[in-house]
Amino acid sequence: MVVMLKRKMFRDIRKNLSQFITIFLMIMIGVMAYSGIEAYMDGMQATSDKFYSENNLQDYNVMGALTQDDLKDIKKIDNVKDAELKLSITATTDNDKTLLLNFIDSNNISKFYVYKGENFDFNKSGVWLDNFYAIENDIKVGDTILVKYETLELHEKVLGLINVPDHLYDVRDASELYPDRKEFGFAYISTNEIPESYIKSLVMKEFNITDEKVFDSINPNFEYSKYIPYNNVMVDVDNVEKKEEVKDKIEENIENAKAIINIENTSSYVTYQGEIDEGKTYVGVFSGIFLFIAMLSVITTMTRVVKNQRTQIGTLKALGFSNTKVLFHYIGYGFWISIAASIVGLLLGYFFIGNTFIDLEMAMFEIPNGHPVMNSNSYIVAVIVVLIVALITYITGRTILKENPAETLRNKIPSIKGNVLDITKKGIFKKLNFSSKWNVRDILRNKMRTFMGLAGVVGCCMLIVCALGMLDSMNYFVDLQFETIYNFDYKLNINSTITDKELEDLYSKYGKNTSETLGIEIKDKDGKKEANNIFVTDASNYVRFVDRKNNIISKPADNGVYVTYKLAENKGYKLGDKITWHIYGEDKYYTSKIIGFNKDPQNQNVTMTKNYLESLNIDYKPDAIYTNMDLSNTKEIKNVETIQDIENLKEGMSNMLSMMKTMLVLIIGIAVLLGGIIIYNLGILSYTEKQYQFATLKVLGFKDKAIKNIFVKQNNWIAIISIFIGCPLGFYLTDWLFKTAIEEHYDFGAYINTITFIISAIGTFLVSYLVSKFLARKIKNIDMVSSLKGNE
Amino acid sequence: MSSFIELKNVKKTYEIGEQKFNALSGIDLSINQGEFVVILGPSGAGKSTLLNLLGGMDKATSGSIVIGEKDIATYTDKELTRYRANDVGFIFQFYNIMPTLTVDENVNLIKDVTNTSKNSKDILKSVGLLKHADKFPQELSGGEQQRVSIARAIMKNPKVLLCDEPTGALDSKTGIEVLKLLKQQSDEDTTVIIVTHNSLIAEIADRVIKIKNGKVESNEFNNHPKNIDEVKW
Repeated sequence: MVVMLKRKMFRDIRKNLSQFITIFLMIMIGVMAYSGIEAYMDGMQATSDKFYSENNLQDYNVMGALTQDDLKDIKKIDNVKDAELKLSITATTDNDKTLLLNFIDSNNISKFYVYKGENFDFNKSGVWLDNFYAIENDIKVGDTILVKYETLELHEKVLGLINVPDHLYDVRDASELYPDRKEFGFAYISTNEIPESYIKSLVMKEFNITDEKVFDSINPNFEYSKYIPYNNVMVDVDNVEKKEEVKDKIEENIENAKAIINIENTSSYVTYQGEIDEGKTYVGVFSGIFLFIAMLSVITTMTRVVKNQRTQIGTLKALGFSNTKVLFHYIGYGFWISIAASIVGLLLGYFFIGNTFIDLEMAMFEIPNGHPVMNSNSYIVAVIVVLIVALITYITGRTILKENPAETLRNKIPSIKGNVLDITKKGIFKKLNFSSKWNVRDILRNKMRTFMGLAGVVGCCMLIVCALGMLDSMNYFVDLQFETIYNFDYKLNINSTITDKELEDLYSKYGKNTSETLGIEIKDKDGKKEANNIFVTDASNYVRFVDRKNNIISKPADNGVYVTYKLAENKGYKLGDKITWHIYGEDKYYTSKIIGFNKDPQNQNVTMTKNYLESLNIDYKPDAIYTNMDLSNTKEIKNVETIQDIENLKEGMSNMLSMMKTMLVLIIGIAVLLGGIIIYNLGILSYTEKQYQFATLKVLGFKDKAIKNIFVKQNNWIAIISIFIGCPLGFYLTDWLFKTAIEEHYDFGAYINTITFIISAIGTFLVSYLVSKFLARKIKNIDMVSSLKGNE
Repeated sequence: MSSFIELKNVKKTYEIGEQKFNALSGIDLSINQGEFVVILGPSGAGKSTLLNLLGGMDKATSGSIVIGEKDIATYTDKELTRYRANDVGFIFQFYNIMPTLTVDENVNLIKDVTNTSKNSKDILKSVGLLKHADKFPQELSGGEQQRVSIARAIMKNPKVLLCDEPTGALDSKTGIEVLKLLKQQSDEDTTVIIVTHNSLIAEIADRVIKIKNGKVESNEFNNHPKNIDEVKW
């Protein structure tokens, strides 16, 4: 670009600095929001992809009573790259914490990521401990912990603090949403550490031998390692695309394999991936809205900036500048600003939004090296933003340049079609006072500017309603889950090895309100099987059924199954339809009629009564007892794996909410900032365009206050109309987000309190009002002579 | 000798909606090189339209506009841009100088469009603005701003200097100074054409053309133009 024009450009920018700063900020915030959330989502994905691949996450978990021979057979199957045995049990510690304890022989699949300490070694005596659990409980490498399981007690030295790819997210059971790292963690110990005596006692129990000498005489060469009761084989396949064939082969050939679970269906994997999928919708919605309203405002501003240079464009043409030179000159205005803003937006997006959101996620998921990732989409969006700004400048400039220079040199008289303003001469408009009439006409004459103002404030209001509404809705579901559906104080998770007699003892102490959760596969018409679970209830009023309107279904019927609404919607189930299912590890299929639907915010599954289960000739073996007895001082109950306090469950939920809150505060912050900037920017535009008229009013003797009122009035109108549009849109946005973005196993919708709408409306109005008031201060300083002269 | 500027039956019609408005209804006139020409006429007579056509800022509906043997009425937009860049200097009533460029920069702006430009220092000296070279337009008086406009126009060494009410926004003393500068250009063989309401300026002109209702009412050569100082403003 030629030197003088370049100088002209920089000086023009300096002269209209506040307008260009707002353009800069709007683009920057829009790009920052988009690229930040994108960097966060892609970072989540890249972090897990890297961890899964480098630490060799298994493809399948084969469950059942598995042996070394089973392992050998699985390894022989085509396409199986490697397989490892694991014994997983739920153990407790000396201070009554719960540990998901895994005994392994080797660690080539789901390899440890060691933060501190050493790598796994079969011959080493000690424990590798969940890093978060260790931090929460202040356990360090070298400390010794006690783990207990039934009669087994192991004092183990902590050899390493670790993350493991299949333990990104661990909760004690499905009723917990947010992991409680202080109370629950995972640990790994070499199978070499299991005492021979313990295995021997298990085998003796199995064969009903009480005297060890008798046992030794029968089994003089007892090899205890052959009798370790492994319950899991992790299988890693070569060709992932053909992994279904491996599953089929295991099903066919390994008799002990009771269930083969695709790793993509495990809670750790699903929850992490669900978080990414949710986020991906946020990328499209929140950042899309941010970018959209920012761009609307930038486009309006750039159009006005170029239009305000009309006579200068005419002068340049009169001086002999070619259209191309003039166009390039004006394209430069938006181009350089938008490039600079996009670069800063990308950097802030990555370092500020990306890092903040990733850090929040990394507090929930145990995964090393979480970092944001900037992918090509963000760069493309930044380039598109720059191109749009350049294109808008180009189009506006070209429209002016199309006129001949003689016309361009004259200020454009706004084209007002008489009939547009006719409405302001009739009916109620006739009775309006001067300032209202003036504002109505100004709006009618500047429809585009008014529309952009509306769009900006509507967007701002909508985002505030949505962000606050998400919190309301989450709170609503906490209430529904923990006040309406769960009507107990404590849930006792019963040990799977409990005898009938021991169970009766528990009933006598804690009541007979029980449930059982069965892992099942549902077969559809095409024979495709999908994992789910059946909640079998005999908990009467302790775990309640609710319908769509949250009314309690007092007595569930015994002649079929209930299906949750969302599952029914997803699968197209109707009342009276039949579903075919089988229990994991069993071959027999059952067909059950759907006799009703129930709402469950957290799990989308099938529910039936104990009576119905027994009518199918399936034994009912409860795995949970619900009670309202005060167990606050009870640390341990015989044959009970864990005691869950409803308050702890609620606390877990509120931890998750507090994480959400931080994200939402950021979103609200950006929405308010962006809304404020847009209102300020459009206010400046509107002020600049009215300056001449305000100067005239001043000359006519209007007081500053009266003129300020005229100015503020219009912005107030726009804010009020925007609020009326923004509030319902915010509700629909929240509802849509909850229904589509959230993981499949949740059933949430928007439940926004009236007070939230009121707060959002007042907040939006205040932002608009304060910005208008701030701008109105300029009216005091209008120089009548130069304002009027400048418009000649 | 043929005239430097020759207009034949030049018409300009504007269409506003369905209505047609004839700004020029067949203008014929000739102007010689180096003449100091004043075009007079009431508001709406078509003076500015004529000036715009001469300056290549607008296109005639019909007729020919020959300037230095070339008919600019047949020029394409590109040719007109080149013509404005190299051959014509404009001076406007409200100066139309770039508010964000200094005096010196406004004048040097011309270097970006033509290679035939003069030395800006000489030009600024000649219009008496050298000491204000680094000032911004808003720091100058109206007369000084108009002198910037003149300096910018003559910077490119134009063949024709077109002035639309150049003294319209100035007081009489400043107006006289501006006219002196313009007369000086004419003395240096640049054709100067001034469009004005002010009939007093006609007394110093070599040629006075009166326009009325889009037509030339009279085109008279003034054999005895007055010296500017002799005119009673």
